[in-house]
Amino acid sequence: MNIEVLSFGSATVAFLLLALAMLTGRRDNLPKRVLALAALTSAIWAAAVTYQAAYEDASSAGMISATLVLELIRALGWFAFLLVMLRTAYKTTPAVSRRFRITFTTMSVFIIGLMILAQYRISGGAMLDMIAGNDVLVGHLLISIGGMLIIEQLYRNTADEHRWALKYLWMGIGGMFAYDFYMYSNAMLYQRIDNELWNARGFIHAMVVPVIGVAIRREMRWSLGHASIDIFISRSILFHTTTLVGAGLYMLIIGSGSYFVRELGGTWGIVAQAAFVFGATLVLAILIFSSKVRARLRVQLEKHFFHYKYDYRDEWLRIIRTLSVNNEVSRLHERAIRALAQIIDSPGGILWLKRANGCFEAEEHWNMEVINVREPGASSFVRFLEEQQFVISLDEFRRNAEVYVRLAPLEIPSWLDNIRNAWLVVPLVLNESLTGFVVLARSPAHTNYYNWEDSDLLKTAAKQAASHLAQHQAAQELVSAKRFEEVNRLSAFIVHDLKNMIAQLSMVVSNAAKHKNNPLFMEDAVSTVENSVVKLNKLLSRLRGDTADNITTINLCELLEETVRASSKTGALPIPVLNCQVVEAKIIADRDRMAANIAHLIQNSRDACNQHGRITIRLKKSERYVIIEVEDTGCGMDEAFMRERLFKPFESTKGTMGIGVFQVREYVEKLGGEVEVDSRVNEGTVFRLHLPFAGTQEPAIKHAQILKLDTFDKRVRDV
Amino acid sequence: MSDAKRVLMVVDDDAGIRTQFKWGLSGFTVITAKDRMRAMEVLQKYQAPVVTLDLGLPPDAEGSDEGFAILKLILDAAPATNVLVVSGALTTENVKKAVEYGAYDYLAKPVEMDKLNAAVERAYQAYGASNPL
Repeated sequence: MNIEVLSFGSATVAFLLLALAMLTGRRDNLPKRVLALAALTSAIWAAAVTYQAAYEDASSAGMISATLVLELIRALGWFAFLLVMLRTAYKTTPAVSRRFRITFTTMSVFIIGLMILAQYRISGGAMLDMIAGNDVLVGHLLISIGGMLIIEQLYRNTADEHRWALKYLWMGIGGMFAYDFYMYSNAMLYQRIDNELWNARGFIHAMVVPVIGVAIRREMRWSLGHASIDIFISRSILFHTTTLVGAGLYMLIIGSGSYFVRELGGTWGIVAQAAFVFGATLVLAILIFSSKVRARLRVQLEKHFFHYKYDYRDEWLRIIRTLSVNNEVSRLHERAIRALAQIIDSPGGILWLKRANGCFEAEEHWNMEVINVREPGASSFVRFLEEQQFVISLDEFRRNAEVYVRLAPLEIPSWLDNIRNAWLVVPLVLNESLTGFVVLARSPAHTNYYNWEDSDLLKTAAKQAASHLAQHQAAQELVSAKRFEEVNRLSAFIVHDLKNMIAQLSMVVSNAAKHKNNPLFMEDAVSTVENSVVKLNKLLSRLRGDTADNITTINLCELLEETVRASSKTGALPIPVLNCQVVEAKIIADRDRMAANIAHLIQNSRDACNQHGRITIRLKKSERYVIIEVEDTGCGMDEAFMRERLFKPFESTKGTMGIGVFQVREYVEKLGGEVEVDSRVNEGTVFRLHLPFAGTQEPAIKHAQILKLDTFDKRVRDV
Repeated sequence: MSDAKRVLMVVDDDAGIRTQFKWGLSGFTVITAKDRMRAMEVLQKYQAPVVTLDLGLPPDAEGSDEGFAILKLILDAAPATNVLVVSGALTTENVKKAVEYGAYDYLAKPVEMDKLNAAVERAYQAYGASNPL
């Protein structure tokens, strides 16, 4: 039994089994059926070759030509399968899909043309010699290149999670095409097909089948043509051309080799070998001696030929999640370190932040020993981080400082050098200025694989972290500004009261010189002192942070009547008309403040009316609220004013009422209610205060005690 | 015009101040008011030619809004009134504002009784000069 029979015989069996497996599988879909077809045509072709090898005498010219046609049909079968896969895979991106399909269908049509051509050229002689006819060979070469090209597209565009199952499929079919390519390019050079290579071909094809089988075993999420296939292809779909470039280069080398063979007349093998060895050595030498070229080449290779190290979508979601999980346990600062560290599996880190004086100080540490150093803002290290916005790898710096110094002068501060496990320095950049940096601890797993991709991701994630930190800081500053404002308010209050007390007490003294013998004066003097004592007590309680409000249950109807009556007495016009539609409307609030707020609104309405018009005050009730309505027929306000200025403190058109409406709303909201305003220019304004009923009130009143001024409180107690 | 008839309105939210102003300015008939409403009542009723006015009054006891509002009301109602602003919060800004609004004079609190008397006296004379009976 000759080797060719064995080789193609095994291929026949293997393909037959594959076809059977495909046809009897549980699920049935188009890709599977087409794969079965490809396997079947392959089996028939292999069987035909086997038959001829076994009974050489029996092979007629017709038989040989049939075998040649069968080989092409088999190629067509595989193409059909790949095209079906392409169609399914790129279903979600019709434009790409169309482009690809047109390309590959053209290719298929070309194969058919080749088949017809091959038919006419059959002229007898051994089969292998017949194939070696040049134009047929070119066709075969193109078929194998085309096959590899489609597979490259499919493989490189396959989403990571599907690669696991699909890579064997691509390896199997790709291997088959690659071997054909090798064999036919060899044949082109020698102008005949190498017997050994041909004989091995059957085995190669047979070996490929189990590899395809593995892919099918893995079920292939293999329900291709199933809905899940929509996520089969991921990221940007690109037309990859490595195959084309690789095949082209190979053909060029082979071609130039054969040219020299013809020109020099020697055995081409030796020349080519010498040239290859020399060329390879040269390239190797260049690569070895130039670390720069090597590094660049590696980056280029990784950037363009390898898959991304990260699934960016996942990384991004994780970073955001880490940054924005809000719990008391971990401060944002710590979470910022973690978000960066987890990208490269770093076990810890330290965060430095810029202080107001421009220095950088360690703010937070995570699984790393904290060190208390201050890095001046003008150091070359800080400037490098700010200007280059470059992640510094300390390992790389120690190995080859040139990489960094080439960009800008850089000296690693000695404190950083002394942190034993420090690995990377990631700048936190916001609006082109450095707000801080994070030193990450060496990762046991990643150190050797740190590359441009890690650096890019870290840099971008750091920007995100920087903006989170800035936002956090702004919020903090707002809180302290509010506290500060409160302290200011309090000190204004203290100064006001103290001045009043000094005034009245000193007046008591100076008035006593004149009136001390008047018992009436003495009586008043005592009451004045008493008044001062009351004021001092009030002051003290306010300093302690007790609320100054005297909270009681108020009958709003009474309160409104009183307020309206009092305000009418001033003689100011127009006099408000009161309309209490509810008699029992009680709320819990400070009576004086409530009255003052209503008086404020009445005064506002008066100012809007400018002595003419009407002011109506109504007391109503809704399900949850008592509603005080103050309506006037005054000048009204336009939308922009209401939106932008009405409720802002220190904004007024009248010069005097700067904080009126603002205060009213603040107080009403403190009580758990809300203020509503309706206004039309030249028609009038309605203010509606919605106040919760007594009893239904939320504990908002407790929050109403504003910020307790701990520092003041403490100081008072210390005294 | 006898002293007894010289009416002076004191607007201040502090009872102690009001009482002591009464004694300290015993040469005048002192009528006191503690807030905007009282002040307007008193003004209508007694037509006081001179008024001392505190700026920090409720509801804005810590600021000066209410004081200025009253100043405006008084001068709107009786433009001839000489108003003396007596305040503990006499910032440059407030002084400027007081003058703009038409206050006659301003005094910082705490104020010495002699100074206050002199200022009120001056205000009366000025009133008398521009409003001869």
